[in-house]
Amino acid sequence: MKYSKQLMAILAMALWLGMAAVAEAQSASEIVAATDKVRNPGQPFRSTLRLTEYVGGQERDHDSLVVYSKEDGATRQFRNLVQYVEPARDTGKRVLLDGHSLWFYDPNSKVSVRISAQQRLIGQAAIGDILTVNLGADYASSIVGTETIDDATRQPRKCWHLELKASNDLATYNRVEYWVEQGSFYPIKGKFYADSGRLLKIVYFRKFAQQLGAVRPTEAIIIDAVDSSLATTATLGEYAYQEIPEAWFQRDYLPHLQAK
Amino acid sequence: MLALLAAAGATVGRADPPTEDKELNLIPPSSETPPADAAPVASGALQRIFLEDAVTGSWLGSDLLPAPPPPPQPRWEERALLDVRSEWRAGDDLRLTYSGRLNLRAEDGLGFPSHENLTNDLREAYLGWEPLNQLFLDVGRINLKSGVALGFNPTDFFKTRAVVEPLSVDPVVLREDRLGTLMLRAERVWAKGSLTAVYAPAVSSDSPIYTSFDLRSFDPMFDRTNAHDRWLLKGIVDVAEGFSPELLAYESQRRVRFGANLAENVGQSVVAYLEWSGGRRGTVSDEALAFGQATGSLPAAAGNVLPGLGAVAFRNQVAAGASYTTALPKITFNLELLYSEAGFTGADWDEWFRTGSATGASSPIAGALWYVRQYAADQQDLISRRFAFLRLDWVDALVPKLEVSGFAETDLVDGSTRLQLGADYYLSDRWTVGGLILIDSGGRHSDFGSLPQAGSVLLKVVRYL
Repeated sequence: MKYSKQLMAILAMALWLGMAAVAEAQSASEIVAATDKVRNPGQPFRSTLRLTEYVGGQERDHDSLVVYSKEDGATRQFRNLVQYVEPARDTGKRVLLDGHSLWFYDPNSKVSVRISAQQRLIGQAAIGDILTVNLGADYASSIVGTETIDDATRQPRKCWHLELKASNDLATYNRVEYWVEQGSFYPIKGKFYADSGRLLKIVYFRKFAQQLGAVRPTEAIIIDAVDSSLATTATLGEYAYQEIPEAWFQRDYLPHLQAK
Repeated sequence: MLALLAAAGATVGRADPPTEDKELNLIPPSSETPPADAAPVASGALQRIFLEDAVTGSWLGSDLLPAPPPPPQPRWEERALLDVRSEWRAGDDLRLTYSGRLNLRAEDGLGFPSHENLTNDLREAYLGWEPLNQLFLDVGRINLKSGVALGFNPTDFFKTRAVVEPLSVDPVVLREDRLGTLMLRAERVWAKGSLTAVYAPAVSSDSPIYTSFDLRSFDPMFDRTNAHDRWLLKGIVDVAEGFSPELLAYESQRRVRFGANLAENVGQSVVAYLEWSGGRRGTVSDEALAFGQATGSLPAAAGNVLPGLGAVAFRNQVAAGASYTTALPKITFNLELLYSEAGFTGADWDEWFRTGSATGASSPIAGALWYVRQYAADQQDLISRRFAFLRLDWVDALVPKLEVSGFAETDLVDGSTRLQLGADYYLSDRWTVGGLILIDSGGRHSDFGSLPQAGSVLLKVVRYL
């Protein structure tokens, strides 16, 4: 009996060490690539994004967006076309987010205006951009350590704590802290920083569900770190694979884009 | 054994609980409950419909030289409007677009009730067809706009005479509230560019410049938009990553103008842009006086009122500028230099004021002089040769949901300035309240300083349906 207990303890230790070794064997870039795949399907797709803004904990505004996403084979980054459906004052506005090519189309003025990387962060379309960004393409990553943190539902999750630094000028944020659950590669939490080092946004991912052949987060909570009374929940839905021709990423296509 | 386990698990620690709890506590508890109106996002028709009520009060300049012709500038205006922009799909390939504004208005000097109290601006009504992927054919009244600049668009060839009774003089708003042109448009979009061809037929003839007192109630006013046959060909080519210049060629009344639009990101926060057009044309004075005579607004002798202001020649118009966006606060600035080789020089202004000072208020000469300025405004052309334009848009200004925007336009020929500052507060998804103030300042013998209206204040409330 005593022998058997010792054997069990040794086996448990071996298993623990083995798991730890497997975990350490994953490089930071492999982890980021794997968690990118959890968030983003491997082929062009369309999804909807329902945004609910909270001010001081109270529900304030709603925005609805349709997002068309397609990975650029050269940069491995997702290119997004975003169309506003709600609120009524923004209906029909469209944003093209394709690497350096950033254009905003307003159906009222009927012209496309080129916007800067900084300017794209002002609108709600930036949230669609955050949720589909392939972090592995634009950031150099390293493992800070392994931590158990509470997720958005206050359930403990054993995570890799990753440090991501912008590796090219396509990166929207200068630095990102990222927590990815070990084993599942689910993104659990991210902290996004400005060039100045200031924390801009804290993002929690939750409501993991089967979508387009894999379990993916279907909701993100984006907390404004500058004004912590502001928070937005982004609910992803209506996922569907969709053919997205290259011509859609021309700014002259923006007036013709219409959610079907 | 325990020591080994402890060592093996050394990297498995708990994050700092207070920080973690603090960040989790920022999640709104009510976010667990989905919104009650969480209907599917994608809907068939795209439409924006709103009701707006706006009241404007103006203060007028005094002792103007030359005295402006009647009618006098109204001191107040009250307007209620229903604005509709809608697109409907008929199958996968057909699309119907309508955009219009129904105005119920009363203003100082306008009789009530009269047919001018009720006007309808038919901005757009056209049918679109996509016979092949990314090939678009449109026919009807279409608002076709071009140009990367904000303060003035030399390549926006269909802007002439198209603006109807705007509530704001902000060039960005003027782009929104204008009539389209009856046209046939073909557009092909490829992976590396696009090509657009437009033919706008003449279906009416030139008419005198409208004032706010002689607008027609329910009339598409094709005399403003389709008085001449016009052609436009424009193309965009991806030259390099993110760099895609647009080139244009436009023909009207046997004169061709060429144009170009360039825009490029510079770093993370700046976009630099350049808009140019050039072609044979007269000065704004020559064109105004000729137009006034042709439409019977000015006597035949009016052509001599401002002699020696130049004949038809190749003239350039340029808008060069850059936008700069700050991370916090969220402000975007646009600074532009605007240039028109057809506009007044300092000597032209001197001549305008010298001639005007020597005439009486009821003199036809005074009327002709003011007509030149009315014509430039009607054409959305620059009256002066050089302007500096600064615009700002501030999102979440001081408090969330407050958007502040404004612009300053300075005539670099005489230093006079037009300043407008506005604010919109989004009370909810449906309700917006806002206001703006406009001030024209400058010397008595300056561009903005000599206008009949010295300033105005507008208050509005908007309800989206």
